[in-house]
Amino acid sequence: MAKPKNDILQGTLALLVLKTLASRGPLHGYAITAHIQHVSADLLRVEEGSLYPALHRMEQQRLVRAEWGITEKNRQARFYAITPAGRQALTDEEASWARLTSGVRRVLRYA
Amino acid sequence: MAWFDRLRNLLHSNRHSTALDREIAFHLAERADHLTASGLSDDAARAEATRRFGNRTGLKERTRDADTFAWLDALIADLRLTLRGLRANRGFALVAVISLALGIGANTAIFSLINAVMLRSLPVRHPETLLQVAMSNGQDNTFTNPLWEEIRRHNDLFQGPFAYGQDRFNLATGGEARNVSGEWVSGGYFSSLGVPAILGRTIALSDDIRGCAPIAVISYGLWQTEFGGARSAIGKTLTVNSHPFTVAGVLDPSFFGMTVGRQSQLYLPICSEPIVDGGQDGLDGRSNWWLNIMVRPVAGATAAQTGARLAALAPSIMTATLPSDWPPDLQSSYLKRTLTVTPEANGFSSLRLQYAGALRVLMVVVALVLLIACANVANLLLARATVRQHEAAIRLALGAGRARLIRQMLTEAMLLSLAGAALGVIFAGWGANLITSFLSAGGSTAWLALGIDWRVLAFTTAVALVSGACFGLAPAWQSARTDPQAALKAHGRSVVGRGRRQAGWVLVAGQVALSFVLLTSAGLLLGSFRNLTTRHAGFQRSGVLLMQADLVDDTPVSTDAILERMRALPGVRSAALSSMTPMGSRGENGLLSADGFHPANKMDALAWVNRVSPGYFATVGTRLLRGRDIGPGDGAGSSSVALITETVARRLFGTLDPIGRQFRRSMGNNTNPQFEVVGVVEDSKFRSLRDSVGMVIYIPAAQRGSPVKNFNIELRSDIPPGALVNGMKSIMADMAPTASLEFSTLEELVARSLSRDRLLATLATFFGGLALLLALIGLYGTMAYQVARRRNEIGIRIALGAASRRVVRMVLGEVSRVVVAGIVGGVALALVATRFIASFLFGLTANDPTTWVGAIAVLLLVGLVAAAIPARRASRMNPMAALREE
Repeated sequence: MAKPKNDILQGTLALLVLKTLASRGPLHGYAITAHIQHVSADLLRVEEGSLYPALHRMEQQRLVRAEWGITEKNRQARFYAITPAGRQALTDEEASWARLTSGVRRVLRYA
Repeated sequence: MAWFDRLRNLLHSNRHSTALDREIAFHLAERADHLTASGLSDDAARAEATRRFGNRTGLKERTRDADTFAWLDALIADLRLTLRGLRANRGFALVAVISLALGIGANTAIFSLINAVMLRSLPVRHPETLLQVAMSNGQDNTFTNPLWEEIRRHNDLFQGPFAYGQDRFNLATGGEARNVSGEWVSGGYFSSLGVPAILGRTIALSDDIRGCAPIAVISYGLWQTEFGGARSAIGKTLTVNSHPFTVAGVLDPSFFGMTVGRQSQLYLPICSEPIVDGGQDGLDGRSNWWLNIMVRPVAGATAAQTGARLAALAPSIMTATLPSDWPPDLQSSYLKRTLTVTPEANGFSSLRLQYAGALRVLMVVVALVLLIACANVANLLLARATVRQHEAAIRLALGAGRARLIRQMLTEAMLLSLAGAALGVIFAGWGANLITSFLSAGGSTAWLALGIDWRVLAFTTAVALVSGACFGLAPAWQSARTDPQAALKAHGRSVVGRGRRQAGWVLVAGQVALSFVLLTSAGLLLGSFRNLTTRHAGFQRSGVLLMQADLVDDTPVSTDAILERMRALPGVRSAALSSMTPMGSRGENGLLSADGFHPANKMDALAWVNRVSPGYFATVGTRLLRGRDIGPGDGAGSSSVALITETVARRLFGTLDPIGRQFRRSMGNNTNPQFEVVGVVEDSKFRSLRDSVGMVIYIPAAQRGSPVKNFNIELRSDIPPGALVNGMKSIMADMAPTASLEFSTLEELVARSLSRDRLLATLATFFGGLALLLALIGLYGTMAYQVARRRNEIGIRIALGAASRRVVRMVLGEVSRVVVAGIVGGVALALVATRFIASFLFGLTANDPTTWVGAIAVLLLVGLVAAAIPARRASRMNPMAALREE
């Protein structure tokens, strides 16, 4: 299912999740939120309410794949890993994000 | 495949849901651990984790939506709920589904006929590129063989040209004819149509030469009946019109020939025509029109271009085939004829010409029946929506969206109509077969491919969906408008306002109006059918046996001697011979001229010619008005005499006494000698009962110049005509052993000629009755519901002393207001609608007062019947019981 085009937050969330998975390898949902929060120095907080629908949607789109695994604390968790299609999507999303931010920056500077 | 995962998730929705719960539980546990590490107590950490997580149900729904098809999920839930609801209300479901099945089934049956007769393509290769060659303005499409040979010569203009001519062939080796439909075909016929032989071979271009061998290609059906489907049939001999033909091949069962509604059993090469008919006239005759010609455009050319090229060639083709024996004025108009092409993907059909209008009328009729059925189901659903208001209120109060409620109601409507459609397809199968047997009444079998194809299925599905939407929307809207507060307060008691009551009555009045239209139409068609069957047609249709005889060889037979022996058969009152017989297909005509007769145009002078033996009029029951019958003395040597009809007498001689006057009859440019009028008979119908032509002259068969090749014998008997057939056969076997015979009764021929009228009248009456029944159910249901709803009010009235007569009057008054309103609307509709059936009527007009008054009376009666039970129930109501329920 195509994601809504005007939903910037959702698009960004997917970008952040893909980037996280690309750099850190397979992670469970909680670790993904923790990582994003940590790396963004608490500037970005992922809402759990949005994360799981987004993860499942990306799984349907074959951008990530998921399997059950055991954590260090011996709990069962669902680990998400990026797929080759996900890496491709990440590259595209990063490029378009860069275009968007540089565009916004220019507007803020010169307009 | 992502959709496959989703479907799997949907189907294993419980497993999927548990997995998601585990995933969320893990997340909460991790969060709680984290919070505990930052100093919170275990309980506080768990609570905080849950709080931060937010609306878990919403998240689960959205995740689920991402993992499944949300709409499909909702649909399945709706379907489950609907099925549960319908199971709880079996009576309602049954009435609704059967009403719809009748309505949709009727539509499917008529549509499958229309599909078979009018829409379906011929089962041949690329039917869409087939072009029919026509002459002049595209009307005239039969050709002579010389024309065909001339057109075929220009094979650079088009692809795969072929010619065919339809005929009836007699397979009997003597005695009673065994006729089958067949076609004369050119060598290109099968290859151009792409029709293969499943056994042996078809007729090929190499067979298409003058003097070709007598070979035959037979249909699958004939292969089964004649040879039992044996492979050894190839090379065996079939006797066709007493001539041996060798079976060369068997065709695929799906191929029926070039005409929808007709199954050709036997295909003979055009070049073998002289073998059957003796003489070369079929091949060389320049005024012998018996072939249809088909071509396809060459690659890249359009139909219009092909037509233009053919038109350009027309002068040379016409010059090459000019009939030298025609009079000069006809020759010059022949040379001016041009050629054109018309697309002919669907094949021709006389059935189509004959029935197209009738089928359209029937389609409208069944559409109205379906509308009435829909109104009934809508009414039932409205009543149900009222009962279910409480349920709807609770669901709304619990937060269900109104859209969701409407969707639920629509799901129910669609489920009902699809169930009705499924059952309707079964009804349609029976119905269509029944109708086909009507079309083939009287011996000439109509052969229709009535199978259910994609078009019929698409039609039925569309009808089901549209009717589902029709009757589902109003109640859905009604239930979604429910005010939960009011509905909950009323606790199950109805809180429906005037809107619902009026909606119900409007639907019923609409049903009455539509029923009125159907009743008047049915009444008119029935009345005109009655007129056709009972009006005196100029002959007495019962008790007459007809025998049609064709002599194959040239051995002269004595028809007088045959007649003499037939008269002696036990039970025969009179016997006669004639060249034309009422409702027969044979006929001969000519132009009449007399001193003082100045016809306004050619048609005014055109008359049928019937050659009859003495006793003809007494035998068929035509009254002799003046003068004398043809007598034994009117033979070959005596002067030419004739009897004429009243119409001929009036037209030729006006008010003068016609007896003893003279007239002439001409054919082509030969003018026959003068005839002297010896008698006048009443007008009688020949080709059909609707025939208005009364121009017929009767001349003595014995005065015919040439030896007789075919004739009809009529026997009037006191015993059932069928009992005479064997006696006649043995006489014929004796007197003319090679003659092929066909027997029928005059009643059968009349019935056959009325098959379309009978079909229309019967079906319109049937559907009118169905409409009436549905309207009765609607009226009764609505009235019964009203009485039940107003129990308290009526109870109070009775308790306060209202006489039961008054209560009855109240109920009847309400019904009669609705019926009268419906009739008023119906009259307005019928004024428009009956105009479309005017062309099918005979002997009455579309505004026939008897029919209209009858329809009004029937509807008032039905209203009374529908109101009777509720009125009785209302008047017998026990006021205490009604009030105690409060």
